[in-house]
Amino acid sequence: MFRSMLRGLLTHKLRLALSALAVILGTMFMSGAFVAGDTFAQGFTALFSTVNRDIDVEVTAQDTTPGGQNAQLGTPTALLDQQDVDTVQKVDGVAKVTPGVYSAGARLIGTDGKVVGGNGPPQQGIAWQNDDPLIQLRQGRPPQAANEIAINQGLSTDSGFGLGQTADVITLEPPTPYTIVGIFGFPGDRPSLAGETTVAFTLPQAQRVLLNAPGKFTSLDVTAAAGVSNDTLRDRIAAALPDDVVRTGAQVAQEQQSATSSFVNILKTGLVVFALIGMFTGAFLIFNTFSMLVAQRTRELALYRSFGASRGQVNRSVLLESVLLGLAASIVGLGLGILVGYILNKALQSFIDASLPVSGVVVRAYAVLTTLAVGTAFTVVAALIPALRASRVPPIAAMRDAVTPDKPLTRLTIAGAVILAGGGLLLGLGVAHVGDLPTWLTLGIGAALCFLGVALLAPIISRPLTTAAGKAFAWSVPGRLGARNTGRNPRRTAVTAAALMIGVALATGAGVFAQSAKAGISNAFERDVNAQLAVTTSFSQGPGANAGFPPELEQTMAALPGVSAAVALRTDTVNLNGSDRFVLAGDAQAASTIFNLKQVAGNVRELNPGEMLVDQDTADALHLGVGNQVTMRTARATPVTLDVVGIFKPNQAISSSLISSADAGGFRSPFAQQGFVQVANDSQVPQVRAELDRLFANNPEVTVNDQSQLIDQANNFVDILLGIVNTLLALTIIVAVLGVVNTLLLSVFERTRELGLIRAVGMSRAQVGRMITVESVLISVFGALLGIVIGVGLGVAIVAALGDEFLSLTVPWGYLLITLALAIVAGAIAAVLPAIRAARLNVLQAIAYE
Amino acid sequence: MEAAGRTVLVRPDHDLFTRGNQVTASDPVAARADDVWKVYGSGEAEVIALRGVSVTFQRGVFTAIMGPSGSGKSTLMHCLAGLDSVTRGEVHIGETRVTGLGDAGLTKLRRDKVGFIFQQFNLLPTLSAKENILLPLSIAGRKPDDAWFDTVIKTVALQDRLGHRPAQLSGGQQQRVACARALVARPEVIFADEPTGNLDSKSGADVLGFLRDSVKTYGQTIVMVTHDPVAASYADRVIFLADGAVVDELHSPTPDMVLDRMKKLDAPAEVTR
Repeated sequence: MFRSMLRGLLTHKLRLALSALAVILGTMFMSGAFVAGDTFAQGFTALFSTVNRDIDVEVTAQDTTPGGQNAQLGTPTALLDQQDVDTVQKVDGVAKVTPGVYSAGARLIGTDGKVVGGNGPPQQGIAWQNDDPLIQLRQGRPPQAANEIAINQGLSTDSGFGLGQTADVITLEPPTPYTIVGIFGFPGDRPSLAGETTVAFTLPQAQRVLLNAPGKFTSLDVTAAAGVSNDTLRDRIAAALPDDVVRTGAQVAQEQQSATSSFVNILKTGLVVFALIGMFTGAFLIFNTFSMLVAQRTRELALYRSFGASRGQVNRSVLLESVLLGLAASIVGLGLGILVGYILNKALQSFIDASLPVSGVVVRAYAVLTTLAVGTAFTVVAALIPALRASRVPPIAAMRDAVTPDKPLTRLTIAGAVILAGGGLLLGLGVAHVGDLPTWLTLGIGAALCFLGVALLAPIISRPLTTAAGKAFAWSVPGRLGARNTGRNPRRTAVTAAALMIGVALATGAGVFAQSAKAGISNAFERDVNAQLAVTTSFSQGPGANAGFPPELEQTMAALPGVSAAVALRTDTVNLNGSDRFVLAGDAQAASTIFNLKQVAGNVRELNPGEMLVDQDTADALHLGVGNQVTMRTARATPVTLDVVGIFKPNQAISSSLISSADAGGFRSPFAQQGFVQVANDSQVPQVRAELDRLFANNPEVTVNDQSQLIDQANNFVDILLGIVNTLLALTIIVAVLGVVNTLLLSVFERTRELGLIRAVGMSRAQVGRMITVESVLISVFGALLGIVIGVGLGVAIVAALGDEFLSLTVPWGYLLITLALAIVAGAIAAVLPAIRAARLNVLQAIAYE
Repeated sequence: MEAAGRTVLVRPDHDLFTRGNQVTASDPVAARADDVWKVYGSGEAEVIALRGVSVTFQRGVFTAIMGPSGSGKSTLMHCLAGLDSVTRGEVHIGETRVTGLGDAGLTKLRRDKVGFIFQQFNLLPTLSAKENILLPLSIAGRKPDDAWFDTVIKTVALQDRLGHRPAQLSGGQQQRVACARALVARPEVIFADEPTGNLDSKSGADVLGFLRDSVKTYGQTIVMVTHDPVAASYADRVIFLADGAVVDELHSPTPDMVLDRMKKLDAPAEVTR
């Protein structure tokens, strides 16, 4: 029996292909995420094992500075000296000790005046080591004088600088010219390990310009003597240097790898979530297809029943069909997903400007199994209800008339209303932060219930809407017929539209959130930043990254004609009374004026050395009041005691305590990272700006912006995030549009005779096409409208739940209109194939069609 | 038809019994087939459905086409109506040469010159009776003639059913809607394909009576394919087809006359009805 039913299934090839396509797209995306993530992670593993391959044991100093483990800013502070080298040298089993200097703070300025590599992977500086197995000299010779450097092949290619040329390099010193005397590469003929740039100085120069610590090192690489295992050697060295960190090369690789794997896992999870949303949408499509397939085959199924097939047999057959379909589609999806993973991995690498040492793709067993299981499960669950419904039809009724009367929508509507109410309640609880579940989970479940509830309510909502649409199209016969057709099968229209609703709702929710974030950012700037001009520093990555400008420029800026207040802010993590805290250093008087600091207690005023202003949050956390003393420990200086002279209310611009520049000598970075300049008279802004540009002309990492540029930069970031989310949601929308195509194809198929008739009474092909297009556009617009309404609701709920002052609830009307316009376009595109099919029908055969 | 080597009892071209009250002297012909051949398939699978049929349908005449199953009567009608192409020969509706028209031309022809009534009623379920009746006119973008619409509605007795959907109408009512739809556009010719095939005898009689009245009173031209002698007896003229050729013709038939002729036709083959 199953074989004959399978043959029936295969006769509906196109519909099957469309349903399969939904599963294929979902599984493709999912396995693509797995493969890309695993390949990416494998790349890091390969990178770190390469880097640490030749290290038997590595010694580094314990970083005991405040927040030291995570410091991504400033000069390395955990250092070793010659005495440590000598100590290790004496340990039994040590063949050789290679002291090294490393910092991510050597930026070579390209011919365009900008730092090569920009905000990409670390721009690192090292001390040249003649026998470093990792570094292979390709051209020239090692640096021998203070003004000589060797650079890696990748940096040479990127910058265009070759042997014998002179290039400026920024370190702890301002841009200084160096002569390139050598170019080196890495094992495996690689120009860089992973896209980073490396400048190698002589050892003394590296100690001076990278560490500002002559005679110090950042690490010791130890080679074991023959017959001594790495672990043994590690234990012996650790015993000799109890205060330092001693690890085998394998341990180092392991730790570096686990640091990146959490990042890779977040990335992977994010992609998989979008893949699941796509699959969820695809489930609607599969549900619709199976409903219609089964409806059309009711007579066939009933025939089997009349031959004596049991309900169970019919159910099992339909289920087995769905298993086969799901499995086959998942396998295809998996195959394509591996390809997608390959491309995605390349895209990820180019996104972070890295080139990881891995070729091909990594396909793990869990990725294969999960993809196949999820793809098949979605298909089967979506096919289950139609299958059960089909077997419930009494055989004779089905054979007599294949058309089952439309059941009333009452039960569906009540169920929908209840589920929607439940979802709304959960959203409300999420907003109010009530309940034991984490807020995001409450909101997530609430959103999913809302989708389900609205999907169930959609049939009843569709009625007045299609009636109204019919009136709107009354002037055109194809339009009127198309609108009527949309209202013909409310359930089918609703399911099709509901699939589109999900993607649109999520995109709309993201849009509301993004718009609110942008509005919040502008508000914060307008409210809390009374400066027309700002000096910003580019971000660099890695410990030792040192971009900034000398803090003494604060006075220079303040003294410029027309400037009423100027502040240069230095930042670092310090330890206040035993607690690691972020603090700012700069002119407190100017900061108070520029950032509208509201005094809560004491006096918010200019700070003398030994005084500090504390923000209310820190004061509460550390139980500080005016007149209290705070012990501040910094990375580089001995602890100092500061008097709290005032407490202020933190705002969007300043939310951490302020100290005077005089007390910031122990910060990791000697530079200020941000500057704000208030100009007394707006007409003088261009003139002041020109002065500032001149002041920072030799520093390619510093930019002068006006306030609108700052806001644009922040908004730009939000837009990029929104763009990424929407790109990922495109999958969901594509699946939903396939659903519209599917539904329309089936409708065309079902209405063959009607189409023949209207062609017989004189409707042209173009008019038939228009009729189908109207139906398609109406379904799409219906889905988009539902999605927009829910999406705005979700966005509002999320913004309300976060309650962050950086969010100012704003509905992006333009964005919503564009969404609606896109839905119309999508509907028109979805109609193309069905319309062509309908228009091409042979009139005679169509009329005779049963 | 000579090519087919069959005995031709009557040459329809020379038909002198044309009746009807609205025949115009200038063009008394509503539809015409000239030596029409229709061949399906090729080689061994070749089936010749029409073998050089020539037939003329005068204006204002109700013609029935009869013949056993497989005689080609439906094919002839489809070719005449432009729903199917001819292999050889020519078809004209009024002044228009149907043969060789493209889809756009055929659409225009169906829109302006031809009306259809089908066995399965073929109404659009989403439209009310009135909307169904006016559908051809709306598609063509023509304004209905209110007086004529009222006349048609009164004739088919659908005054109080106009707002109903097809699902709310009986079979007879649905077919009357279909008749009204064909008639309201006043086409050159209405083609009816077994219009009573799905109706009980009472409803069938209603529909046939209405068709005959529309010919008699308003000069409508109707070509009807049927295998029911009683239905054929409502026509002014009956053409008999067998094996794809016109083999006989009757004027002012009675059911018995028709049945008699049919029996003769069926004699060599299996008895169909």
